[in-house]
Amino acid sequence: MRRASGWTALAAALVLYPFVDRALGLHTIHAVSDGMVYVLLALGLNIVVGYAGLLDLGYAAFFAIGAYAMALLNSPLLGSPLYGHAWSFWLCIWAAAAVSALLGVVIGAPTLRVRGDYLAIITLGFGEIIPVAIRNLGDITVEIGGWRPIERLNLTGGENGVNPVGRPYLPGVSFETDPAPWYFLILVIGALSVWAMSRLQDSRLGRAWMAIREDETAADCTGVNPISTKLLAFALGAWFSGFAGSVYAAKLQAITPGAFEFQVSIMLLCMVVLGGTGSLKGVILGGMLITVFDRVLLSQTTFFVRWVGRTIGIPALTTADLTLWRWFFFGLGLVLVMLVRPQGLAGRRVRPIAVVDDVDQPTVQEAAPAARAESIPPWLRERVQRGGGPESAPILEVRGLTKRFGGVIALNGVDLSIPRGAIVGLIGPNGAGKTTFFNVVTGLLRLDGGRITFDGASVVGLRPNAIVARGIARTFQSIRLFPHLTALDNVLVGQHCRLTATVTGGMFRTPAVVAEEARARARARELLAFVGLGGKGADLARNLAYGDQRRLEIARALATEPRLLLLDEPSAGMNPRETETLTELIGLLRRELALSVLLIEHHMEVVMGISDRITVLDYGTRIAEGGPQEIQRHPRVIEAYLGTGYEDELAARRGAR
Amino acid sequence: MEWWEVLVQQTINGLTRGAVFALIALGYTMVYGIIELINFAHGDVFMLGLFISLFWFTLLGVTKTLTAWQLVTLLPLVFALTMLSTAALNVAIDRAAYRPLRRSPRLAPLITAIGVSFMLENIALLWQGPAPIAYPDVFPSVDILREWFGVDSAIFLTTKDLLVVGATLPLMLALHYFVTRTTWGKAMRATAQDRETAAAMGINVERTILLTFFLGGALAGAAGLIQGMYYNIGQWWMGYQAGLRAFTAAVIGGIGNMPGAALGGLAIGFLSAWSDQYISARWTNAIVFSILILVLVFRPHGLLGERTPEKV
Repeated sequence: MRRASGWTALAAALVLYPFVDRALGLHTIHAVSDGMVYVLLALGLNIVVGYAGLLDLGYAAFFAIGAYAMALLNSPLLGSPLYGHAWSFWLCIWAAAAVSALLGVVIGAPTLRVRGDYLAIITLGFGEIIPVAIRNLGDITVEIGGWRPIERLNLTGGENGVNPVGRPYLPGVSFETDPAPWYFLILVIGALSVWAMSRLQDSRLGRAWMAIREDETAADCTGVNPISTKLLAFALGAWFSGFAGSVYAAKLQAITPGAFEFQVSIMLLCMVVLGGTGSLKGVILGGMLITVFDRVLLSQTTFFVRWVGRTIGIPALTTADLTLWRWFFFGLGLVLVMLVRPQGLAGRRVRPIAVVDDVDQPTVQEAAPAARAESIPPWLRERVQRGGGPESAPILEVRGLTKRFGGVIALNGVDLSIPRGAIVGLIGPNGAGKTTFFNVVTGLLRLDGGRITFDGASVVGLRPNAIVARGIARTFQSIRLFPHLTALDNVLVGQHCRLTATVTGGMFRTPAVVAEEARARARARELLAFVGLGGKGADLARNLAYGDQRRLEIARALATEPRLLLLDEPSAGMNPRETETLTELIGLLRRELALSVLLIEHHMEVVMGISDRITVLDYGTRIAEGGPQEIQRHPRVIEAYLGTGYEDELAARRGAR
Repeated sequence: MEWWEVLVQQTINGLTRGAVFALIALGYTMVYGIIELINFAHGDVFMLGLFISLFWFTLLGVTKTLTAWQLVTLLPLVFALTMLSTAALNVAIDRAAYRPLRRSPRLAPLITAIGVSFMLENIALLWQGPAPIAYPDVFPSVDILREWFGVDSAIFLTTKDLLVVGATLPLMLALHYFVTRTTWGKAMRATAQDRETAAAMGINVERTILLTFFLGGALAGAAGLIQGMYYNIGQWWMGYQAGLRAFTAAVIGGIGNMPGAALGGLAIGFLSAWSDQYISARWTNAIVFSILILVLVFRPHGLLGERTPEKV
């Protein structure tokens, strides 16, 4: 496998490097060790930026916190009674990671309700505040009208930083002047971190991060809790920077606040963006390239330019110093990468729709085969039919639902009830409030009045993901898949709320987690096959044909094991043939699974053909409710929506077929 | 100094600082309003504005205090030249670094904006060197209270303070007139509300965006010139800090809201001056950023702005 061999080669090169360095007398071990610390930091930033899609411009703050946690716990020199004696390095490194992770949560928490670019600015603000705080907390004097409760208290070492910081102790290894033990220590920490990150990336949590990155609302409506998922991204991202910071502090033996300025955050961002956000290999590559560029290329090129200047006789060149330009080049690098190759060097290129596969297929794309009762996964049958309430009670009971947007009343006391195992159609002209109704029921919008009872319990005030966990799944009018995830991963995200793997479980792959993951994958494949997407599991969602995307969205909704499915115009944009297949699929779900469905639809043939009951909305008010025949004759419905002569038209179309 | 004299003095300081922040904040708020981009490089356009104005003064041979005659001829000329230069620079930045990314995810142009900011700072560093640059004392400084009114007070109010207000206020009023009363201004407001619909109505959206960057750049240039004449010092890194403070001002006023940006600028000016005096200059940055964070989290539409539904 190419993938494995790449990692092996990298590992071998890194293990052998110190010996090469010694043999050739290069004396670069220190520099390479520092470079590895920065690569580790970039990898931590990649969790936040690459996986979870949260632009963090103040990541150096976590680096600082890790370094200071180590320095303050492990330095004998600070006068504060809090840090009386030095702790062991091996203890401090965990403490530093834990403190960083904790601060990651503290800093992450306020940003949860904020949009992408505001979030970036907030992290930048924290990135500025923390060095300021470290600088100023070295000499605190509080004076209130002559009274000084605190005088010249030194918490952080102030501008001078902390010096010295204790070294690690390991029997038989000397962490003194020889740089090699440091190199291997950092290498081991880095390797373990990469291993943990690669495990996380492929875990339940990793999928949730990427779902949030792709479409937060859709992820929320698929059962992923955005709050805990984002906080975990901040916490774990900070955790690894805690490792990096603490090793860095111990290696340098001294730290000052100047080492953690905004520029460091931007250099780390450069590494992530250049290599390819979200790709472990890419970030390692980006980190190595930038380190080499920064530490080797710039100085060597300066020598070269000066040599050229001396040889040709241009005095300006003989004094040139390209290392002064380093931040200019970082800035230029950011701009160029974003303009030329936004996915980064190793980023996954968006694959075009496969051409090769079409060879043995007919050129005209055949509509997907109709779903058959036999292909319904047995587990789904079982899961959908679980549930509490008595058979006779409706699965969803909505009473007096009211929603206002400023002065506009979008929903005005709407009642709607869905019997168990029934298909209920929700129709009405554009702007009648149908999608608003969906958004309120699924928790995306807060209601202004009324009750929503699902399976005997109120779901009012629950977050969308909690409502999904209760058993209500939905699709969107404008398809909202996770475009850069594969079809299989899209369905797996749907399983998220039914899986139990924890962070540590996902990292260590306990037998239970491995079994659960295997089962989830098998189920996801079965669902894909059921909706007619068998064999397309590895395609990116964005590359699927339109009709396939619609069906994938239904498969994702089914993966949440719903007992009520809300479909928002599922046949919009489909041709008659696809519409027919879809109608059969919905009918099958009801017939075979007794799955309750609430359907918004403008194709009257679909609605009238499969609905048991129909509710008609107009200007946010329910104007009619009844069986399909009843609705077709209802004068107010004809006036508001269907139009006169609709019945004849429908009959004529039926006759024509 | 009596306590009230300190307060008055710091309030004057806050007013002059705030006027400069307000001019920069207007550029942030206009650009954000129209393309929803935090133009991170804007503070550095301000910083370059200072050095560019210095360049024009040097070119015109001005090295010491201007005479009355020069004040009415050369000073407006330098204002015009500086504003044109930074406006052109801002437009060029948009063309090169933001325009190709108009249809990309929102974070992409923000990342290039940070890149541009680094490039501008380092251009200034290599052009002017790392040491602070002395800006000639071109504007006559007269102690108004003592020399004009004969009041012996510890409060120091000079003609320079008047200059700041006298230059800033007309610029803001002119901008306000332009945006609210002219066809181009109407095009800007329409594009800010809905780019697609504006385009459908026959508005040349790209030209409107260009105009926005042009105006924002011009104001940043004016702010740089005023800053230079007032404080007589320029440093390559000053754009980063001033930019962040001005951005905070724009956020406080409700980003996209132009009168809000002006008021927010004054608010940040007062706050930073008072914080320098009454808490400690060492903490001022932390305080300004805390305010930025609090406003973004709890009042993302600003303290003045009305709530507008988020564009989906």
